[in-house]
Amino acid sequence: GAQLRSCKDEVFLAASPLLRKITAIAKKYGVEEVNPAVVSLISHATQERLRDFASKLSIIAEHRVEIYKM
Amino acid sequence: ATLGSSATDSRGVLDRTRLRELVKEVDQLEQMDDDVEDVLLQVADDFIENVVSSSCQLAKHRRSNTLEAKDVQLYLERCWNMQIPGFGSEEIRP
Repeated sequence: GAQLRSCKDEVFLAASPLLRKITAIAKKYGVEEVNPAVVSLISHATQERLRDFASKLSIIAEHRVEIYKM
Repeated sequence: ATLGSSATDSRGVLDRTRLRELVKEVDQLEQMDDDVEDVLLQVADDFIENVVSSSCQLAKHRRSNTLEAKDVQLYLERCWNMQIPGFGSEEIRP
């Protein structure tokens, strides 16, 4: 049968300030409640976004050094 | 320095130690200026603002007053080409 292997879900962003922030934004759109799963989902997505951004920056930085050497 | 901070408070959502750890994960030799850290914090902030705003509009569109994980997932998939597994909407295949 299928085996489920999992590791502890580490949360990247601080949960309660993040929930406060999400709730504040949601209010502007008339959304009163936020499902708790949204908090960790947003946290994972933000981590992914920053990881992608940082890896692009690192490539750009390498190129800058390359040009500088010439 | 604060780059045009949004109306909602974002300080305390992401701490600089976690941010540095993430950058080290991407590139072990990377040295990051303090300015770059600020920019990354701003990127995170804008991202959260963008995703939550649009997801709320999706929640409203299905006439709900609750923001659900599926709203966020739909937006992330469509607009950021991002799939975050483990939030129940995807089918589990053996």
